[in-house]
Amino acid sequence: MVGTPVLFIAIPLLAAFLIPLTGMVWKESVRIIPGLILAYLLVLAINLLSYVTVNGPIVEVIAGWAPPIGINLVFNAFSGFLVTIMVFMGLLVWLYSYRFKSNVEYEAARKYFLLLMMLVTGSVGIVLTGDIFNMFVFIEITGISGYALTAFYTGRDSAEASFKYLIMGSIASVFLLLAIMIIYSQLGTLNMADVASKMHLMDPKYKAVSFILFVIALGIEAEVFPLNGWAPDAYAEAPGPVGAAFSGIVVKAAVYALIRYTYTIFDLSGAFDLLIIVGLMTLVIAEVAAIRQEKLKRMLAYSSIGQMGLVFVSFGIGTKEGVFAALFIMLNHAIIKPLLFFSGSYLVYHSKKKTISDVDGMGKLAPFTSLLFALGAFSIVGLPPFAGFWSKLSFLMAAADSNMLLIIGLILTVSVVELVYYMRVVNRIFFFKRASHLLARRPTFNAYIVMSVLAVLILVIGFYPDSVSTYLHNAANSLFDKSQYIHSVLTATIQ
Amino acid sequence: MDSTYFQYLDYAVYGTAVLVMLIGLYAALVKKSLLKIVIGLSIVDSGLNLLIVTLGYIKGGTAPIFSPGYNGTQAMVDPIPQALVLTAIVIGFGVTAVALSLVIRLWRHHHTLYIDEIKNLKW
Amino acid sequence: MITLILLLFLGGAIVTWLGGKLSPIVGDMLFLVTIIVPAGMFFTGVTVGEVTHIHALGLTLTWGLSPLSYLFSMIVVGLGILLAIYAVPFMKGKQKTGAFYFNFTLSVMAMLGILVSKDWVSFFIFWEIMTWSSYLMVILNGKDVQRVGIKYFIFSAIGAYAMLMAMVVMNSQLGSFLMADTFNNFQHLTVGNQILIPILLLTAFGVKSAMMPLHVWAPDAYSNAPMAYTGLFSGALSKMGIYGMVLVMVTMINQLPEGTLIRDIIAWIGGFTAAAATLWAITQDDGKKLLAWSSVGQMGYIIVGVAIGTPLAMLAALFLVVVHAMFKGSLFMVVGAIEKQTGTTDFREINGLIRKMPWTFISALISVIALAGIPPLAGFVSKWMLYEALIQNNNYILVILLFFASTAGFLYCYKFLHGYFLGQEEPEWAHVKEAPVTMVVPMLLLAIGTFVLGTFPQLLFKPIDSALQYVGYDATGGHLWGQSILFSEWGDVVTLQPILYAVLAVFVFFALFLWFKGTKGTRYVSTKDISSSGELPKEWENLTFKVNFMQPFERVIEPFLKRQIDKYYTAFGNGLEALFEFTRRIYTGNGQTYAIYAILFLALLLLFRVNLFG
Repeated sequence: MVGTPVLFIAIPLLAAFLIPLTGMVWKESVRIIPGLILAYLLVLAINLLSYVTVNGPIVEVIAGWAPPIGINLVFNAFSGFLVTIMVFMGLLVWLYSYRFKSNVEYEAARKYFLLLMMLVTGSVGIVLTGDIFNMFVFIEITGISGYALTAFYTGRDSAEASFKYLIMGSIASVFLLLAIMIIYSQLGTLNMADVASKMHLMDPKYKAVSFILFVIALGIEAEVFPLNGWAPDAYAEAPGPVGAAFSGIVVKAAVYALIRYTYTIFDLSGAFDLLIIVGLMTLVIAEVAAIRQEKLKRMLAYSSIGQMGLVFVSFGIGTKEGVFAALFIMLNHAIIKPLLFFSGSYLVYHSKKKTISDVDGMGKLAPFTSLLFALGAFSIVGLPPFAGFWSKLSFLMAAADSNMLLIIGLILTVSVVELVYYMRVVNRIFFFKRASHLLARRPTFNAYIVMSVLAVLILVIGFYPDSVSTYLHNAANSLFDKSQYIHSVLTATIQ
Repeated sequence: MDSTYFQYLDYAVYGTAVLVMLIGLYAALVKKSLLKIVIGLSIVDSGLNLLIVTLGYIKGGTAPIFSPGYNGTQAMVDPIPQALVLTAIVIGFGVTAVALSLVIRLWRHHHTLYIDEIKNLKW
Repeated sequence: MITLILLLFLGGAIVTWLGGKLSPIVGDMLFLVTIIVPAGMFFTGVTVGEVTHIHALGLTLTWGLSPLSYLFSMIVVGLGILLAIYAVPFMKGKQKTGAFYFNFTLSVMAMLGILVSKDWVSFFIFWEIMTWSSYLMVILNGKDVQRVGIKYFIFSAIGAYAMLMAMVVMNSQLGSFLMADTFNNFQHLTVGNQILIPILLLTAFGVKSAMMPLHVWAPDAYSNAPMAYTGLFSGALSKMGIYGMVLVMVTMINQLPEGTLIRDIIAWIGGFTAAAATLWAITQDDGKKLLAWSSVGQMGYIIVGVAIGTPLAMLAALFLVVVHAMFKGSLFMVVGAIEKQTGTTDFREINGLIRKMPWTFISALISVIALAGIPPLAGFVSKWMLYEALIQNNNYILVILLFFASTAGFLYCYKFLHGYFLGQEEPEWAHVKEAPVTMVVPMLLLAIGTFVLGTFPQLLFKPIDSALQYVGYDATGGHLWGQSILFSEWGDVVTLQPILYAVLAVFVFFALFLWFKGTKGTRYVSTKDISSSGELPKEWENLTFKVNFMQPFERVIEPFLKRQIDKYYTAFGNGLEALFEFTRRIYTGNGQTYAIYAILFLALLLLFRVNLFG
C-alpha cells in the first residue's frame, strides 16, 4: 500500500485552496498543479484497487475516533472502482480543458481549476465516505462547485441553468438532511455500517419515509425522472468539459450513494422495484425528449439521463449480474459520454446556437473529430464491436435471467429511439452538405489526446471486454457482501 | 405550575420548525421573484436547522461541554445535531451566496427577476 | 484460420481506409488485396467442421463452418471478389472511396462472421456489424439520407433487437448461447417461449430478407446504395436473412405442434411478397428501383420455398439463393456500368445502348433470361422445382400466385432490357463507351455462371444436398433432387443439355438473322418524334415513348398499388414524433416547476409507501 484513501480528499481539497496562492507566484501553476494531482491520484487509485482486490477493503479512520463514532473512509472493490473511474475522468477533463476557450486567461483558469478540484473532491468524497452526514457535506461541496461551474460562462444562459440546478440542489439538501435526521433520531448513529447493522431495529414507517427522502434527494443529483429538469440545461450551458465531468463524475457519485443506501444501508424489499420503476420512467422520458432536441448538447444530456435510467433499472434487478451490468453501463457511459461531449463541443464550436443542424457536413471539415463522435454514437447505442454492446448484452442477460421480458421489450424499443437520434446526427455530420459558413475549429493538441484515449478505450473494451470484467465482478461482489462491509468498518482500528 | 402545558410546548417547537419550513417551501415554490425564492430556500434551511437542534435537545440538559463546573450527573443535550447544524448553516450560507450572485447575473442578462420570463432553456 | 481470416478483413479494412488517404491507387490496390487474399484463404484453408473458440466476458464464442454455411459463404466470397474487382473502376473519381472500401470489406467480413458463428452472441455481433456497414453504404451518396437511411436502420434495429431478445431469453432458459444447444433443447422451453422465440427470430430474419410487411426499407436502400455494393447487398447480404430463416424453420418450427400453421403463414407472406413486389417493379422507371423491387420479389420466392420446407422446396430455395445472387449481382453491375458511363439510370432518358455497350448488353441479356426463369438458364431450374414442390404439397393457390408473379416478371424483365439497350440511339448518348474491362468481366462471369448452373445444375446440387442433410433432411432414398421429375426422368448428370442446345440454336439463328437482315434498311428517326394530335407538347415534357411504357397494365394494377404500407409506417412515425414532442414539454424550462415536481414526487411516493415497502 503506497497511500491511504484520505489522500483522495485531502490533496485535491488542499490544492483547491493553494492554487490561487501559487498562482500569484507562477501563473501557469494553476493549470499544471491540478493535472499533477489528478495523475497522482489516478496512480494511487489503481494501486489501491489492486491492493484491495487481494487484501480486502481498506477502512481508514479519521481524526482518531474509531467507528461508529468517528468518520471513516471505505475503499473497497466497489467504491475503489468508482473512484478510479472518477479520478481518471477528472484527469481527462483536466487535460481537455487545459487551454479550452476562456481557460487561456489566467483569471478564468484559476477559478475553473479551483472549482474542478472541488468537484472532484466532493464526488470522490461521496463515494469514499462511510458516514451519512459526511456524505451530505460532500454532496454540498459537489453541488456548490457544480452550480459555479455551470454558470462559468457569462453571456450565455448559463446563469439560468445554474439557478435551476441550485433550486433543485437546495431542495435535495433539505430532504437529505431530513432523511439523515430521521435515521439519527431513530438509531442514534450516523456511521453507514452501524446504521446498516441496526437497520432492523428501525420502525418500518420511519424507515420507508427516510428512504423515500434519500431517493428524492439523491435522485435529484442522479438525474432521476421527475427530478432531472435541471440536468439538460446544466449540461447544455456548462462548458463542454464540465458537461463531461457531470456525466462522468458527479452523476456517478450520486448513483453510488443511492445504490449504497439501497443495497447496504436499507433492507427494504420494495426498494428494488422502486429503482426499476424510476429507472424506466427516466429512460423512456429522457430518450423521448432527446429525439426532439434541436441543440446538440441538450440531446447528449437527455441521452445521458436515459443511460442513468438504464443503470437504475439494472441495479433494480437486484442480482449480481444486474449489478455487474449496471457497473458496466456506468463504466461505458463514463468513457463514451465524455467523448461525445468533447467531440461534440468542437463540432459546434463556432456556432452561436449550437443546434444540431450546425454539424451538417462537418465530416469534411473536421474529419477526426467527426469520426470520434461517430464512434461514440455507435458505441453508446450498443452497436458491436464497440464497448457499449457488451454492457447492453450483460444487462439484457441479467434481465432475462430475472424473467423481465416486458422490461426487456420496452428497453429495446426505447433503444430504437436512441438509435434514431444518434444516427440522425451522424448522418448530418457525414452525409449532409455544409449549410452554414462557419469553419471547423481544430481541437487543441491535448483535446486530441483525450479524445484518442477515450476512443482507444472504447475499442479495447469492445474487442476485449475481459480487460475490465474482473474489476466489475469484484465490485459487484463487494456491493453484495453487506456483512463484510459492516464487519470491516466496525472492527476498524486507528492506524 | 402544571407542567403538562409545557409538554405541549415541546411539540410546539417541532410544530414551529415544520411551519417555518413550510413557509419557506411556499415561498420557494409559489413566489415568482427570484429573490423571494432564494429567501424561501434559506427559510427552509432555517426551519430545518431548528428542527434538527430540537431533535437533539434533552429536557433540562446542559451544554455538552466538560467545563470545570460540571458535576457529572446532569444530562447533556446531544452534541451531534448541534455540530451538524453548524455545518448545515455554513453550507446554507454558501449556497445562498452563490444563489444571490446568480440572481445578479440573471438580472443583468434578462433585466427581470420574474422567474416565468427566464425560460430560454426549455424542453 | 477463421479468426485469422476475419482479422485480416478487419485489419485490411482499416489499412485500406488509411492507405486511401495517401493515394487513391494505394487504396485501390490495398482494397483488392484485402478482399482477395482472405477470400482466397477461405477457399483454400477453411474446412467444414473446423471450430475455434474465443472467450469474452465469461461467454464462449464458437466459430466453425457447417455445410449449410459453406454454401452461403461461397456466395459471399465469390460475389465479394467479383464485386471488389468491379468496384475499383466503378468508384474511380467518386467521393468517399475510402468509406466505400471500408464498409465493403467490413460487410464481407461480417457476412462470413455470421456464417461461421455457431453461437448467438457472435451471430448477433456480426449481424450488427453487417447492419451498420451496409447502412453506411446506403447513405454513402448523401441522397435522401435521413429518410432512406433511417428507415433502413430502424427496421434493421427492430429486427436485431428482436433477435437480441430471443437470444437472451434462450440463454436464460436453456443456459447456453450455442445454436446447437438452443435448437436441441428447444423442447425444454415453456410453450409461450416456444412460440415467442421463433416469431422474434423470424422477425429479425424477415427484415433482412425483406419479407412483406417489413420490406419497405429494401427498395429505397437497394437503389440508394452504390451499385457496386448493391450487388452484394441484394445478392449476399439479404441472403443472411434466408440463412437464419432456414435454421429457424428447420430446427425450431419443426418441433412446434403449430409449426405447419406458421409455415403456411410465412409461405403466404412470401408468395404475396413475390407478387406485389413484381407489380411494383413493373411500374418503376428507374433501373435501380426496378431491380430493387425485383430483388424483393425474388426473396419472396425463396421465402416460399424455405417456408414450405419439403426437401424439394428447400432445394429450390437454396438453388435460387445462389442463382439469384449471381444474376442479380450481374444486373446491378450492369446498372452500375450504365450509371458510370451515362450518368443516369432512368429508362426514359437512355436509349439504344446495345451498340455502345455490347458486352454489358450480353451479360444483362443472359441475367435477365435467368431472372425470368426461361429454360436454358439457372432461374428456370429453381422455379420449376419450386412449383413442383408446391404442387406436391397441395398449395395450388400459392402456385397460381407465384406463377402470376413469374409471368408478370417477364414484363419488367423486358422493360429493363428494352429500356436501356433497345430502341434507337440518340445523339445525346453518342459519346457513350463500353465500360472498362474490369467492370465487364465480373458481370459476364456471373452471367455465364447462371448459364453453367442452368445447364449443369448438379454442380450446385451436391453442396446444397450436403447442406440440407446437415440441417436434418433425410436423403436415404437417393439424392434429394431425385424428387423432381425434371431430373429423375432425365437422370442427374446430363440434365438440361438438350433444351440448351435447342434454345441455343434458335438464339444463334435469330442473331444471324438479325445480323444479315435486320440492320439493312433501318431508318433512324428521333425517338422523341411522336405525333401529339394537335396538342403542342411543352418543352419540359419528356416525349420518349418509354414514358408510361406499361400504361395499360399500370392502369389495371393501380388500385392494388394505392395501398402502400410505407404510408402507414410514415404516419405512425409522424404520430410518434408528435407524441414525443408533446411529452418533452414536461420540461417546462421553469425552475420552480421542477421543484414542484420534486415535491409532488415526494407526495406520490409517500402515498404509495405502503404498496412499495409494505
